[in-house]
Amino acid sequence: MAGGLSPAAALRPEAAVRGARRNATAWLLIAPSCLALVLLFVVPIAYVLLLSVTDPRLSLAHYQRIVTVPVYTRVMVNTFVTSLIVTALCLVIGYPLAYVMTRRAGLVSTLLLTIVAMSFWTGFLVRTYAWLVILGSKGPVAAAYGALGLGKAPQLLFSTFSSTLGMTHILLPYMVLALYAAMRKIDTNHLKAAASLGARPAAAFREVFLPLSLPGVVNGSLLVFVSCLGFFVTPVLLGTPRDMMISQLINQQIEELLAFGFASAVAVVLLVATCAVLAIYNHYAGLDRLWG
Amino acid sequence: MRRRAFLKGFAATATASAAGPLIVTDRTIAQTRTIFVNTWGGSWTAAEEAAFFKPFTEATGIRVRTVAPVSYAKLKAQVQSGSYEWDVTAITQADLLRADREGLVEPIDWSIVRKDKLFPNAVYANGLAYCALGTNLAYRKDKFPQGGPKTWADFWDVKKFPGTRSMLNNSVRAAQFALVADGVPPDKVFPMDVDRAFKKLDQIKPHIKVWWTQGNQSQQLLRDGEVDMMVMWNARASELQQQGLPVELVWHGATITTTMWGIAKGAPNRKLAWEFLQFAVQPKPQADFANRLYYGPTNPEAFKFVSADVARQLPTYAENAKVAIKPDTAWEAEHTATIQERFTQWLAA
Repeated sequence: MAGGLSPAAALRPEAAVRGARRNATAWLLIAPSCLALVLLFVVPIAYVLLLSVTDPRLSLAHYQRIVTVPVYTRVMVNTFVTSLIVTALCLVIGYPLAYVMTRRAGLVSTLLLTIVAMSFWTGFLVRTYAWLVILGSKGPVAAAYGALGLGKAPQLLFSTFSSTLGMTHILLPYMVLALYAAMRKIDTNHLKAAASLGARPAAAFREVFLPLSLPGVVNGSLLVFVSCLGFFVTPVLLGTPRDMMISQLINQQIEELLAFGFASAVAVVLLVATCAVLAIYNHYAGLDRLWG
Repeated sequence: MRRRAFLKGFAATATASAAGPLIVTDRTIAQTRTIFVNTWGGSWTAAEEAAFFKPFTEATGIRVRTVAPVSYAKLKAQVQSGSYEWDVTAITQADLLRADREGLVEPIDWSIVRKDKLFPNAVYANGLAYCALGTNLAYRKDKFPQGGPKTWADFWDVKKFPGTRSMLNNSVRAAQFALVADGVPPDKVFPMDVDRAFKKLDQIKPHIKVWWTQGNQSQQLLRDGEVDMMVMWNARASELQQQGLPVELVWHGATITTTMWGIAKGAPNRKLAWEFLQFAVQPKPQADFANRLYYGPTNPEAFKFVSADVARQLPTYAENAKVAIKPDTAWEAEHTATIQERFTQWLAA
């Protein structure tokens, strides 16, 4: 649509000229954004790519190290597995929440939306520290254990559990808002129609609502998954060293070891893996659906 | 800094067209008379403001602006790209050594820095010694009414000293403490027997509740009673003591690392920066800093301006330094990368 010559326009020269002019204007208008994209994204990414094979000398040694030293593959796999688990948890918790938000009118919906939005707007560092207090040995969870006479609370903090919990909490709003946006678009008449045709509520949900909400599920999952891949502070503060995510590794390589080349190679692998996920998504769902 | 580069260019064109032969030199730039310092921020920078920056501005008229946090990566990026965000950086001695070897720092400008005004060992790898930081064993006194751990061997002894433990997530420090716990005298830790260190670390690993990474985090762990004994930076522990927490600090087998001042290679305000460095290593400012933050002055003369009570808590206090690990920065700088890789692997296993 962006001004390409249609067969009809080719038959009419004056239309073709007008089309070409419109084409040029269009290019001129998007030039600033294209330039920004190139300068802010393409150039830095190309630079990282270049660093990964040239710093300190031209070689593929960094990539070889990533695949041969077990800890790096381990961290990479852990990053993906953790992201998958967090995504699944967000979906399981977020779906019913978004469903209630959509289906209940008035106060309940507004209240839930406000809570989700407030959580969304609170800094993730603050939320991470809040978990340190809640799960701490003097926190409410431990106190509740004592009050109920259950004895000493189990060690909750500094475990894979607390790290996963923290990340799920931080990313849940993304999932809920993506689901909510998709569910709001579903015409309630569809459900009424299903009911009038004899479907029980469960069947109507399964046969009508669920399939229609799937784009939201895919979008929310993708958002959460990709954000989770880059998580850094929360697993450091709440988790164990075994829960190390790839961003920690990159940070350590740059800040502590000044290994710019190796850090770049790790970043490239992460980027490629993320692109692969997006490509799979694009193949089945289409990237353009992400935005609406 | 882009803007400064722009101003420089602008000034060059302006003077070239107006005054012909006048050339923009570093001195012209110096007339803006501001230096930019990369530092750690928070209470560290607050203490610097009072001890170094304010008195320096009062004495010279040169203003000081700070950028936090300290980033070696940024130092390298600045020098490589030629666009500067800051001129001076606070930096650990090991990092400074690496930076100097990579040609990332300015050589000392002896036309500004006066040798007769420096103390012994003030100069290292083209930087000037800033202060000394202890990494110690610290514990909650209230958790050990019969007397707490006095050595790293005690820290490792989970039967005699039961309690929750935490260590700093730093490969070289952890390995050093392990060696002392295994019976290596603190002055014989270097060159490090890395295999022996990791063997000893294996014993303590299951008992470490958390490997902390940030100073605030370490204080929170001890304050909230999340852990009973831990590796901690000396000033952080002293700060908790001041807040009334029953914290005890052990100097036996602590590591004392020196923080340095360095200047980024080619930094636009380097002349002013050397003036600042010369000022900052003098006894009075160093003492003022130590009185606020409990990191030890590197200038021995500074102890004249520190009360006996504070002096006892400082890493460079003779009694403390005597029982601490004798550092070998060159060895450390050379081996950190390999030890770190092994440590990361060991932690994740």
